[in-house]
Amino acid sequence: MRQLTAFIKKECREHYRSGKIWILAIVFVLFGIMNPAMAKLTPWMMEMASESLESSGLSLQATQVDALTSWTQFYKNVPMAMIIFLLMFAGIFTREYEKGTLINMLTKGLARWKVVLAKSLVEASIWGIGYLLMFGITYGYNAYFWDNSIAEHIEFSALCLFMFGLWVISLEVLISVMVTTTSSVTLFTVGIIGVLYFFSMIGKVKKFLPVQLLSAGELPMGSGNLGDYQMALILVAVLIVVQFVAAVLYFDRRGNL
Amino acid sequence: MDILQFSQVQKSFGSRQVLKDITFSVPEHSIFGFIGPNGAGKTTSMKILLGLLKPDAGKITVCGKTVTFGQNETNQYIGYLPDVPEFYDFMTPREYLMFCGEITGMPVKEAKERAEELLIMVGLDQEKRRIKGFSRGMKQRLGIAQALFNRPRLLICDEPTSALDPIGRKEILDILVQAKKETTVIFSTHILSDVERICDKIAFLHQGEIVLQGDLAEILSAKTSGNVEIEFQKKEETKRFTEAFPGWKENTAFKVYYERKSEEERVAMLEFMAKEKIYPVRFEQLEPDLEDVFMEVAGK
Repeated sequence: MRQLTAFIKKECREHYRSGKIWILAIVFVLFGIMNPAMAKLTPWMMEMASESLESSGLSLQATQVDALTSWTQFYKNVPMAMIIFLLMFAGIFTREYEKGTLINMLTKGLARWKVVLAKSLVEASIWGIGYLLMFGITYGYNAYFWDNSIAEHIEFSALCLFMFGLWVISLEVLISVMVTTTSSVTLFTVGIIGVLYFFSMIGKVKKFLPVQLLSAGELPMGSGNLGDYQMALILVAVLIVVQFVAAVLYFDRRGNL
Repeated sequence: MDILQFSQVQKSFGSRQVLKDITFSVPEHSIFGFIGPNGAGKTTSMKILLGLLKPDAGKITVCGKTVTFGQNETNQYIGYLPDVPEFYDFMTPREYLMFCGEITGMPVKEAKERAEELLIMVGLDQEKRRIKGFSRGMKQRLGIAQALFNRPRLLICDEPTSALDPIGRKEILDILVQAKKETTVIFSTHILSDVERICDKIAFLHQGEIVLQGDLAEILSAKTSGNVEIEFQKKEETKRFTEAFPGWKENTAFKVYYERKSEEERVAMLEFMAKEKIYPVRFEQLEPDLEDVFMEVAGK
C-alpha cells in the first residue's frame, strides 16, 4: 500500500511541478465559462451582424437564447477539452521509458501493477475533477442567467460523456504500456476512436459502441431517450475493467523499459 | 560464498547472438570488474541479471535465489546504477531518496537518516536544487546513493565512469571503494585503468563470451610480458645494440622497446651490454598491464 501511495504522490508532484495541473485547470475553467458566455454573447453578435447586413438588404430576426444554447456549447466543447487532456497525458508512460526512470524503481522492488494503477488513478482523478469543474461552472452560470429545468437529463448525459472520457483514458493507458513513443500513443488512441466513429455511422451498430456516448448531448435537447445509452454505458464500464487488467498483464511482461 | 552466479546464459536479438555462453561467479565483498569493449554484451548481461530482459537459456542466481524475468524477487538484494542514470528531475536529491525509501518500505525516520548519510557520502548534502540542473557527475553520484539506499548485498554499476571527466571519475571510484565495506560491487567498464585501480576480481567479456576471469593480481602476474625498454646514453650505442638485437618494436635515437622477450634473450641483452661496455641509462622490464592482457585474450 505504501508503494502505491508513494507512487501516486510522485505522479501528483510531477503534474503539479511540471505545471500540467495548472494548464488543465485553466483549460477546464475556460471551457466552463465559454459555454454560457458564448450563449450570452450570441444575441449581441447577431445584432452587430444584422446592423451591417441591413445595409445590404438582409434582415435577421432576434434570436432567443436560453440554457439550452449554453448546454449545446458544453457538449460541443467536451470533446475539445478531452483531446487537450489526452495529449497532455500521452507521455506519462513513454517519457519514463525514454529516460529509463522506471528502472530505478522497479529494481528497488516496486510492483509493476502499482505503476499502472497509480498512473491510471491519477489521470482519471484529474479528468474527474477537471470535468466536474467545467460542468459545475456551466451549470452555475446557466442557473444564474436562465433556467436549467428546461434541459432534460443534464446529469445523465454529462455522466455519459464522463464515462466516455474514462474509457479513453483506460485505452490510452493500455496503449501506453504496449508502445514506446508518445507519438504512437497519440496515434493509436486517436486512430481507434476514429475507426469506431467510422463504424458508428453504419446504422444500428452505433448503440453498441463507446462512441455512442458522445451523442448524449442530444438528450437535454429532447431528442432520443435514456435507453439508447444503456448498452454503451455497460459496454464502456466492462471495457474499462478489461483494458485495465490487460494493461497490467502486459506491463508485467514488458521487457523494453 | 558466491553472491552471484551466471551459468551458461545465452541471449540473441533476432539473428544476432549477443551472449553466447556466459558463466562466471562473484564472491562476496569484492569489487568485480566486468570488462569488455563496447557492444560485447555487458549491458545485456546486466539487464538479464535484473530481470529486465529474458535470457534464451541459462540460469542466474543471486544470493542463492534464481533470477526471474519480469517481477523479480532477487532485486531486493541488488542496487543498480544504470550507465546514464536518469531520475525524476522535478525532485530534489533528498526528495528522490525519500521516495526510494517509501518504495523499499523503509520506516520514515530510518529513511531520513539513510538519505542524509548517503548524501554526505556522495557530496550532495548541500544541494538544494532540483535534479534537472545537475551535471553528469552529480547524477552519477546521486545514482550511487540511490543504488546503495536499501543496503543491497550486491551493487551493480553499468559503466559508471565512462562519460565523466577525470575528476568525476576519481570521485566515483573513491565512492565505490568506500561502498565495498558494506556490499559487493560489480562494475562493467571498458576503461582498463579504472579496473586496475579498484578491482580485485575480473572477467573479460569478448564477443559474447567470457574469455578470461579470476583474480586481477594473479592474472597480471601469470602474464609476465617480457616487454623490455632500454635507454642508451649515445646514439651510436643504440645503433650497435639494435644491430645485435633486431626484432625491436619501437626504436628512437636513444630508446629501444622489445616485446615478449624470453628470459634467455633478456639475459643475452645484459651480457651483450656488459661485453660491449655499454652503460644504459635505464633497462626496464615493463609490467604487463590489463591492456596487454586484454589485447592478448581478444586475439589482437
